[in-house]
Amino acid sequence: QDRKVTGKVVANDGPVPGATILLKGSNVGTSADANGAFTINVSGANPVLVISAIGYKPQEVTVGNQSVVNVKIEDDVNALTEVIVTGYSIDSRRETTGAVSTVKAKDLTVRPSGNVEQQLQGRVAGLTVITNGQPGTASQVRVRGFGAFGGNEPLYVVDGVPVGSTDFLAPDDIETTTVLKDAAAASIYGARAANGVIVYTTKKGSKGAKKLNISYDGMYGVTLAGEGQKMMNPTDFATWTWNAKRNSNEAFGHPQFGSGSTPVIPDYLTVGGRSGVVGTVDLAAEKAKYNVDPTAGSIYQVVKANKEGTDWYKAITRNAALQRHSLGFSGGGENSRFYIGFGAQNQQGILKGNDFTRYTFRANSEFNVLKNVRIGQNLQFTYRSILGQSGGAGGNGVAADENDILSAFRMPSIIPIYDEFGGYAGTAAKGFNNPRNPVASRDGLANNRSFNANGFGNIYAEWDPIPGLTLRSSLGGQYNNFYNWGYSRLQYENSENNSAFGYNEGGGWSFGWVLTNTATYKKQFGKHNVEVLAGQEALNTGKGRNMSGNGLNPFSTDINYVNLSNVSASGRVVNSSLFSGVNFYSLFGRVNYIFNDKYIITGVVRRDGSSRFGANNRFGAFPAFSAAWRISSEPFMKQLTWVSDLKIRGGYGTMGNSNNVDPNNQFSLYGASIGNSAYDINGSNSSTAEGYYRTRIGNPDAKWETSITKNIGIDGTFLNGKLDVVIDFWQKDTKDLLYQLPITATAGPFASPPSVNIAKMANKGIDILVTNRGRITKDLSYDITFTGGTLSNEIVSVAPNVNYLTNVNPGFRGINPIRNQVGYSISSFYGYKVIGLFQNAEEVKNAPTQDGAGPGRFRYADINGDGRINADDRTYLGSPVPKFTAGMSLGFKYKGWELEAYLNGFFGNKIFNVSKWFTDFYPSFAGAAISERVKDSWTPSNPGATTPIFETASNFSTNTQSNSFYVENGSYVRFQNITLGYNLPASALSKARIQRLRVFASTNNIFTLTKYQGLDPGVGGNADTNFGIDVGNYPLTKGWTIGLNLGF
Amino acid sequence: VGKEQLSTKKGLEGALISVYSNLNGRANRMASATNWVWGSIRGGDANKGTDPGDFSDINPIQRFENLSTQGVIRDKYTGTYEGVARANAVLQLLTTATAEVTDADKKRISAEARFLRAHYYFELKKTFGNTPYVDETLDYGTGIEKVKNDVDLWPKIEADLKYAYDNLPETQAAVGRANKWAAASYLAKVYLYQKKYADAKTLFDLVIANGKTSNGKKYGLVPKYADIYRASNDNNEESIFAIQNAANTGSVNNAFPEFDLNYPYNTGPNGPGNCCGFFQPSFELGNSFRTSAAGLPLLDGSYNVGANQVKTDMGVGASETFTPDAGNLDPRIDHSIGRRGIPYLDWQDHPGAAWIRNQPNGGPYSPKKYTYYKSDVGSLQDNSTWTPGYTALNFTIIRFADVLLMAAECEVEVGSLEKARDYVNQVRKRAANPAGFVTKAGAPAAKYVISTYDAPWTDKAVARDAVRFERKLELSGEGFRFFDLVRWGIAEKEINAYLAYDSKFLPGTLGGAKFTPNKHELLPLPQDQIDLLGKDVLKQNPGY
Repeated sequence: QDRKVTGKVVANDGPVPGATILLKGSNVGTSADANGAFTINVSGANPVLVISAIGYKPQEVTVGNQSVVNVKIEDDVNALTEVIVTGYSIDSRRETTGAVSTVKAKDLTVRPSGNVEQQLQGRVAGLTVITNGQPGTASQVRVRGFGAFGGNEPLYVVDGVPVGSTDFLAPDDIETTTVLKDAAAASIYGARAANGVIVYTTKKGSKGAKKLNISYDGMYGVTLAGEGQKMMNPTDFATWTWNAKRNSNEAFGHPQFGSGSTPVIPDYLTVGGRSGVVGTVDLAAEKAKYNVDPTAGSIYQVVKANKEGTDWYKAITRNAALQRHSLGFSGGGENSRFYIGFGAQNQQGILKGNDFTRYTFRANSEFNVLKNVRIGQNLQFTYRSILGQSGGAGGNGVAADENDILSAFRMPSIIPIYDEFGGYAGTAAKGFNNPRNPVASRDGLANNRSFNANGFGNIYAEWDPIPGLTLRSSLGGQYNNFYNWGYSRLQYENSENNSAFGYNEGGGWSFGWVLTNTATYKKQFGKHNVEVLAGQEALNTGKGRNMSGNGLNPFSTDINYVNLSNVSASGRVVNSSLFSGVNFYSLFGRVNYIFNDKYIITGVVRRDGSSRFGANNRFGAFPAFSAAWRISSEPFMKQLTWVSDLKIRGGYGTMGNSNNVDPNNQFSLYGASIGNSAYDINGSNSSTAEGYYRTRIGNPDAKWETSITKNIGIDGTFLNGKLDVVIDFWQKDTKDLLYQLPITATAGPFASPPSVNIAKMANKGIDILVTNRGRITKDLSYDITFTGGTLSNEIVSVAPNVNYLTNVNPGFRGINPIRNQVGYSISSFYGYKVIGLFQNAEEVKNAPTQDGAGPGRFRYADINGDGRINADDRTYLGSPVPKFTAGMSLGFKYKGWELEAYLNGFFGNKIFNVSKWFTDFYPSFAGAAISERVKDSWTPSNPGATTPIFETASNFSTNTQSNSFYVENGSYVRFQNITLGYNLPASALSKARIQRLRVFASTNNIFTLTKYQGLDPGVGGNADTNFGIDVGNYPLTKGWTIGLNLGF
Repeated sequence: VGKEQLSTKKGLEGALISVYSNLNGRANRMASATNWVWGSIRGGDANKGTDPGDFSDINPIQRFENLSTQGVIRDKYTGTYEGVARANAVLQLLTTATAEVTDADKKRISAEARFLRAHYYFELKKTFGNTPYVDETLDYGTGIEKVKNDVDLWPKIEADLKYAYDNLPETQAAVGRANKWAAASYLAKVYLYQKKYADAKTLFDLVIANGKTSNGKKYGLVPKYADIYRASNDNNEESIFAIQNAANTGSVNNAFPEFDLNYPYNTGPNGPGNCCGFFQPSFELGNSFRTSAAGLPLLDGSYNVGANQVKTDMGVGASETFTPDAGNLDPRIDHSIGRRGIPYLDWQDHPGAAWIRNQPNGGPYSPKKYTYYKSDVGSLQDNSTWTPGYTALNFTIIRFADVLLMAAECEVEVGSLEKARDYVNQVRKRAANPAGFVTKAGAPAAKYVISTYDAPWTDKAVARDAVRFERKLELSGEGFRFFDLVRWGIAEKEINAYLAYDSKFLPGTLGGAKFTPNKHELLPLPQDQIDLLGKDVLKQNPGY
């Protein structure tokens, strides 16, 4: 009586691969292949097929006597059907009680950036992503604020394996992204969950696909260099040099511009050391004397003045190509499924010599060994290379660096890039102070290399001994290997030159592993639905070794010759280090109880032990409770037909954090260091004896930081699925914050003070997700998604009687912009508040006493009103933490056409633009380039200016203090991307046996609305207590891409 | 490594090495015993030099606009306490020394550690006044943060130095170690700072009669003044206690890191250092080298007046011609000050403005004493980092000429003026050695006229002036001047005179600056330490 029925499942967009087809009332089922086609054996008198797929409404079809059943299923626009994948379980959004966000796989691939975490910017409410324009850069990803004074990065879990970073992942390999935000969702990860958890799963293929699916996704594009800051041309530069002297009653004079009452632009900046040469030069004769090799004798250059002006930003940047290609193979049989992916990405930075390359190979598979036993594995190899990156912490710190971008704004435009005979020109020509030729600097990186190779994966087995019970065991690991070498040029063109040719080389490896065993039991009886999860996990975050060496002046600088063996023996240094990782041992459990699909209660607890802490406090337990009420299932709501689904959630719980403490914190240690404790006790002039000094004072009692989170939220679907709303009100209070509380200098400042559990921090906010979808006409549909999160971050206490972190005081040429202070956010700006510029001597006389006060200079607020401006008058000047971050995506579909746009923004944050110190003040480094802004500086006839008088004096009232002149509004809205795509109609493709063909074109970073005066308001930083400072930020610039998505 | 592993002989010796190691501040240039900012710049030997924006934290220091929040002040304080802490660690470790450590070892190690601890406390005392006294019995967790700064440090410093003097050997296996005579000299200096002239004189007499260096050389003056400042001549008979510097060791922190920027600017390969133009000698110091027809300094201060002022190339462009001063000069000027037209060691004639970073800010002079020679490049100089200004040259914390002049002070106060004159003349005689003159084309590079004081000094006041002035000339740029002026009680007069004089040439740099008595003698305690420990523990110095 069985008979075979075939058919095809399609939806508005075309075939639905992987749709599940069940014979109602039986165990018989199958799934659709990549074309949506299926075959199923049906039996019974009146067979009915139930077709379901994620993202679509379930549909029943009566087979009747048909042998071919084609089914069209409807989009289920209800976001609540989403699947939420945590490392240990798969839940549906409908049943979750915690604060969880997901990101669609496709959203991770829209922007051409290679870094997955960058793609999350603006996509998840409550997630703050602080990043920059360097390809391959790391970013600061913060889930619900900043819980601690460091180590606030979330825990990343890839296919169940916790990892420190996701830089090895290719965006096209990712299937689901889930962000666990509150304790109810995240504390299953216990001691590592306080900063939120971001869970990725990679593509798997589908069972019963029968046929091999091949997909190709490719894009090619260009990132445009953009415009630099506006700097003065040579004539204005000379004029304003004279103005500075005039404003200071100083005699005119400059090695290039003479000493007359008006400056003279020379024809040559240097002719063999002669400065300011006016007239012609016998170049042929000069060429004979030319020398730019310091080892061959005196330098002799001829440098012509570039009277048109060099655009140094343009000189170091380029329109940068990028491309990404991903090839995927997926498929499966009755008892297996697999996915194999190859990815290649190459992205040039707009800065010359800055490149990012990544090749990935991924193989995932799963097999049914027995009906109730499955084994599977995930495996990935990645080769990754980033060249010419600036900034600490993987590029995070670029904004705070004095890098080549800053150099481009410090090099006077009158200096050409090259001298008359092909060498570099630079500040060796007198009178321009110390900027270094940034083109030479970029060129000098050309032969440097750096790459790492990474193997990552896990194997797992699942056994269902009885219905409802699944036992799972997974063993995962990550092996990482890196190698790098680089050269430093022997310079000649600058006023301050590297005096030797340098070479460095290094490599290292690390290996981490994790073993996880879980048992999950699901049972439904009547209206009761129970799910219990229990698990055990052991892991090591990675042990390994590093070694490096460097040296000087090899016999030849041929890169095929230079190695560590043949650099000069004197001054050759080798270093190596080892680390043993941190061990964790954990037990965890979760109970989820649902009554009548209406009331949901969840309890989670995890107990972790970590070798980061001493035996006294090694273990911590982190419980969380949450509940939800599906109010829309109550009878009294039924009449509100516009409410499709409404759930109210609440949760309370604790999560831990141990990132911000060194595993050695429990020990007092001594060490030897050639730089810190060696001494030439024998008076040899060339060698040292080893010395031992205390490197660390231990605290055996340190324990976890604990975050207490409270969350109340709603998940709602309204207007028959047209409107989804998710809102969360949350608060996260971190106590026992681990902090290296400074200790008295009398104990010896070279020893790291112990981290102690002392401070408190509070974060609170509202996360909002609103999606509206619908159809305008039959063929034209749209969706709009808005995500937004408010954030209020406050340091609640530091230590008894201590009001701020005295040891976090980064300096930028004598300006110390940051104070982490009780009552304010982390990394707050601090200094003197400028209430205007002194207009005249009379005002100076009547104002509170202020060192260096004078007309046109900063007038500071007398905060304590004592009539005297001193250190006690410094005050809070703003915070780099955005009060509100938001993202919005818009999508329109018309037949095969798709138009998508995406914007994001930061609001209510400030940026400390210390780059102005270099370009807006004459005496900062007298002779370096001058900003166009100076033309609007204060003079008696320009009293409304905000830029102070341009003069030579440098004192408390001019350029030496941290003050509000540097603090700018950092809010911005960035139109990140607009993409126009076209899906070729299935009818046209089927002849070519192509399943899917989409072509698209995008432009990125189309514009940014901001009041910020620097290059780009996306200003990051490399530490939680220290960011939002712009010295030489790497901008995110406009670009375009075109691409192709192809499926067979 | 853990603490137990350092209780062995090797461990203890290494812990002691780290105490010596901290003498130069380990890249914390403000913490070094060279005191180029705290002693020399504040004393008027030099100004900061370079650009106003370069290391601008020093600007308020040279202008006496000190703020307790300044990083440079914190650096001096914390960096010096690192030395104290390391010395305390050695003394603490000695209490758990293993059996292989002999009593003789213990005696020597403890005496060296206490010598060094005294040195660090002396640095704190003269710079900050009284600071918290912690010894080896206090540490983190045992009350160290509760120690107030209400105890006079002088008796503690004396006690350590006496112990060192009583227990150190006369010679040491390693020349860098302090010996008995270094301790005696330092103790005498500490007496002198307290005006205990008689005690100081007794010790100085012993040192001058019997003192020898750790490598067994009887104390004496090297024949040529310039040879004090040559790396190839380190640890000579004049070197009583020195910071041992070494080049090409793998870290430039061992290679005179606190002076790496104190060179002329943008010299190219034909000059030393190339960067950054710090520490430019003052006009006032330059003029001080003017001598009378008789070859004696102008003790009446007239060197700053009229034609006595030394001619400089201030305001003279590099391409314009300039003839150096033709008057009588003490030959030490051209070992102490780089000035236009005079050979700059074995490099070339100082070209004036071409080597000066910002003349309106720093004046026309370059520092010279601690500059390496062209012939030292690559061997006694270290190229391993971005600037070549790292050298193997030692910095002497106490040298014999200093001892002679300190002894002369004691003689003036409680002894014989004639003996004082003799000491001063010993120093002047060496300076007058024609073989040591800077020469150009075989002849003296300038008109060097110098002689000894041949007539007895008429009274104490005259003698005092002569001795003090000799210290200024002999020890300029060596980190002493400010502390000398303060202990002599003439800081306000001398410093304000210097500021008034030099600000005529450098109005933007020094104009309006003023030394305030009963305030600026001491630096303020670092504000962050007060914020951390509480005002009840650390009492701020008067005036701040």
